[in-house]
Amino acid sequence: MASEHVEADNAEAIIARIEHKSRKIESLLKQNKPVEALKTALEGSPPKTKDERCKSANWIVVHRAIMAIKDVESLFFALDPEYYDILMKYLYRGLSTGDRPTCDQCLRIHEKLTEKAGLGCILRSLADTVNTV
Amino acid sequence: MAANMLRLYLTCIRNTLEAAMCLQNFPCQEVERHNKPEVELKTSPELLLNSVVICRNEAEKCLIETSINSLRISLKVKQADELENILTKKFLRFLSMRAEAFQVLRRKPVQGYDISFLITNYHCEEMQKQRLIDFIVQFMEDIDKEISELKLSVNTRGRLVATEFLKQFI
Repeated sequence: MASEHVEADNAEAIIARIEHKSRKIESLLKQNKPVEALKTALEGSPPKTKDERCKSANWIVVHRAIMAIKDVESLFFALDPEYYDILMKYLYRGLSTGDRPTCDQCLRIHEKLTEKAGLGCILRSLADTVNTV
Repeated sequence: MAANMLRLYLTCIRNTLEAAMCLQNFPCQEVERHNKPEVELKTSPELLLNSVVICRNEAEKCLIETSINSLRISLKVKQADELENILTKKFLRFLSMRAEAFQVLRRKPVQGYDISFLITNYHCEEMQKQRLIDFIVQFMEDIDKEISELKLSVNTRGRLVATEFLKQFI
């Protein structure tokens, strides 16, 4: 009982945080900084929530940042390796949507990310059943 | 542009398969002396990895499900019109019926897909992993060509037959 209560509170808090994040990302995108926007979107991703709304809310924010990226090469010069795993998980989520522009963009980034991060990154995203996005 | 997208799609699938094809022998946990492909049964969640769907667009997608001793790949092929629909169904059914000869093919496709492959640890022991992946990717490339060729030949034959038949009315 108590844990459910905590989950619900947590969910509201997380969704509020995500909305705050999305405002920051919009402003970063207006300043033409897509890489910064993506970093902001990826960090603070709620890993342990089971709540689908939090995950969907975060996915929408990350999706917005991913679609705004034009130059995939420069993305990897600026992005730190600690974000590779979480980005890979979101790429697979993007690929499962079936929406053509999303899939095109995700496929482009996936190729470059695999070159950079290697097969281990893919395997970690497949094997991690606890922290899913 | 479209060719580049196809290349990216196949590269993505190839990389995912290379990472996912890490199979080892694992006897059944529930029944003594049985050895079953865990991806088909899905009884124990600790033996399964996350399944991924890789879509190229709304019509084409690929589902990859892995477990400790087996890997299942399901493909949905692009079908633009009714004729391609029928041709794809018939052609892939023809192949699936002869699944014994292919060894890695599944006799029935997974619900919602056109054709499925089941690769077990035994296949990985007998055959090279890289070659298996090459086979799957090559299969995906060739399927599109085959269906287009079939469609072309059906249309050509139809036109010839109609011309011959209607000649008698001239």
